[in-house]
Amino acid sequence: MASYFRRKKITFWPCGFRISGDTIVLAAVYGPKAGSKKNESPEKASIEVLWKPKSGQIGKAEREYEMILTRTLQSIFLSTIHPNTTTSVIIQVMHDDGALLPCAINAACAALVDAGIPLKSLAVAICCGITESGSIILDPTKQEEQEMPAFAYLVFPNSSLAVLPGTPPLIEGEPVEHGIITSVTHGAMSVDDYFDCLDRGRVASAKLSEFLRKNLAQSQIPNHSSKAS
Amino acid sequence: MTDESSSHPNTLVDHWVAPGDVVLDLTNMANQTLKLGGGLRQECDAIIVTKAGRFKFSKPNKYWVESSQKRYVPCVEDTVLGIVVDSKADNFLVDIKGPTLGFLPVLAFEGGTRRNVPKFEIGTVLYLRVVKANTGMNPELSCTDATGKASEFGPIKDGYMFESSTGLARLLLSRPTCPVLDALGKKLSFEIAVGLNGRVWVNASSPSTVILVANAIMSAEFLSGAQQRILVEKLLQRVQ
Repeated sequence: MASYFRRKKITFWPCGFRISGDTIVLAAVYGPKAGSKKNESPEKASIEVLWKPKSGQIGKAEREYEMILTRTLQSIFLSTIHPNTTTSVIIQVMHDDGALLPCAINAACAALVDAGIPLKSLAVAICCGITESGSIILDPTKQEEQEMPAFAYLVFPNSSLAVLPGTPPLIEGEPVEHGIITSVTHGAMSVDDYFDCLDRGRVASAKLSEFLRKNLAQSQIPNHSSKAS
Repeated sequence: MTDESSSHPNTLVDHWVAPGDVVLDLTNMANQTLKLGGGLRQECDAIIVTKAGRFKFSKPNKYWVESSQKRYVPCVEDTVLGIVVDSKADNFLVDIKGPTLGFLPVLAFEGGTRRNVPKFEIGTVLYLRVVKANTGMNPELSCTDATGKASEFGPIKDGYMFESSTGLARLLLSRPTCPVLDALGKKLSFEIAVGLNGRVWVNASSPSTVILVANAIMSAEFLSGAQQRILVEKLLQRVQ
């Protein structure tokens, strides 16, 4: 009997540009499976996220992560292509060393691309924190996160290649990749500090999106130049 | 990340593209008809990529994104290998590794009438053609070609079926013959059926040949032509 659940590629996404960063998250994408969930409209595809912590029972924090991830992925997901289907994304935390949610978002996005689910763009996530002395650091470790008075998780769309300059059109004078998909903040910071975090986050996400593009290109099959029969 | 014209390539054909990339600008192409294949979407005047992969172009006007996945999106006129899951009064339900089950009408066989409806057990492997594939509807399948003849479609007996990615299935069906099949065919005799949905069926006189062929095909996906031939030689040496 054929199994209905087709498993996609599982992707590792080690987080952190720094050598000490070792948050590891495993993301798996299943679907699209026939049938949508009870409260979802059958006229579009729905996406569901399951968050599995490294240890312990599933509680409110996990539900919050699931909700944030669902909303983020829904904004890059093209829901009109396969109506009445559900795509499941399962996140398994292997090791948490700070910036867990951005790492999970990057992993989920890479898994969706690998599975061939149609997307509007890629989502690139970064964590910016403000230390007590007022300086901004990216990708803090767990200990730094606990000591910081405030930090923010920011998700941007990726920078896209375009054939001609000027496309895609600038929205209100700014390129599309400066738009922000998700922002989750913890602690208290001033408005100026938040805008500083946004600027740093944009620069970092541009670099992350280059890295993502290069790695995804390498993981695909080599270019067999054969005529289609 | 908005560099000026130096970083804008004139064309992205044969480049690897990611979702969100704009690959064609329609303002300069007012009077042409374009055919867009999988992975592309039109938004106002631009063609935007939705699936990551290599952007391909074929004259005169066909564009598509080529990528390899483990799941299959049904397309019209594809030949696929399906497994019967259930049978209803009017059609069989067949699993073709897509988002929904396919329907195979009970009369879609050569010379099929209500009196000689074939009986397939659950789990039968069928070689089928996709007749209709619209989003939101179950795809419709058929065991005849477009003219109504059976021509090799229908149930498949014996042998061994394994799953692969869609990219590997396309590689096995490409012209000229894929190097691994070429090398295997020179030394061994076997039968093979490839479904574009990522399923491959192999049959040979002895089980060891079947296993050898299946393993060679599965390992050959990411190798170049020369490497595939070397792989086949090594496997054959081990057997003999």
